[in-house]
Amino acid sequence: MQGTDFDELAFFRALEGCGARALLIGRRALVVLGLPVLTADYDFWLHIDDIETFNQAATPFGLAPTHQPDEARRRGRYVLENDEHVDVLVARSVPTIDGEPVTFADLWDRRQATGLTDAVHVQLPSLADLILTKRFASRPKDLEDIRLLEILRQEDGL
Amino acid sequence: MSSRPRRTALRATEASERQVTGPEAAAYLSVPISETEREEAVALIRWFRRRYPTGADRLAYVRRAYRRWTMARNQ
Repeated sequence: MQGTDFDELAFFRALEGCGARALLIGRRALVVLGLPVLTADYDFWLHIDDIETFNQAATPFGLAPTHQPDEARRRGRYVLENDEHVDVLVARSVPTIDGEPVTFADLWDRRQATGLTDAVHVQLPSLADLILTKRFASRPKDLEDIRLLEILRQEDGL
Repeated sequence: MSSRPRRTALRATEASERQVTGPEAAAYLSVPISETEREEAVALIRWFRRRYPTGADRLAYVRRAYRRWTMARNQ
């Protein structure tokens, strides 16, 4: 399947169904929460033991991994791609720009399941943790996103 | 898009993708969120959530918007 034919909802349904421990991070997580920001790709933080399961779920969508699982584990990240581009982080821990370690296990424990529809759900980090992940790369657009997320966090009942 | 606007767009993309330093990030984030910035962001979020009530609706909107943006950029 080419990206132009990409069935986004079916993709998320397949990921939910496969049981891989995967958190949607990056700008698409912001979009799900209600922040209208543009992005080209998908970003996931995946449990390091679930690469094979995740890849298998993505295969019917024509998404091919750039690295084999063992190499991806060594590198800490890889990409699934065709016309679509899915960045997959598989490191157990990533430091923020300030050197604060952020671990997948902690984020997974505090995750929030969010409905895309009544029947399809995606796992997101908590708002506070999503802000932390925005401090990994700390590009100007990440800093803008942090300000938006802080507003969202402060505006209970929006 | 003629070559000059394209170069400008590329420079803008490069600027938004570069990694800032810790002190740069701290300085940017230490600026308090003004009432105007907050009100504009809240209005935008409320509109987006009202217009696109489910996560699937929001993701689909962003795919359409990104497609429009890249088409306009490449013209």
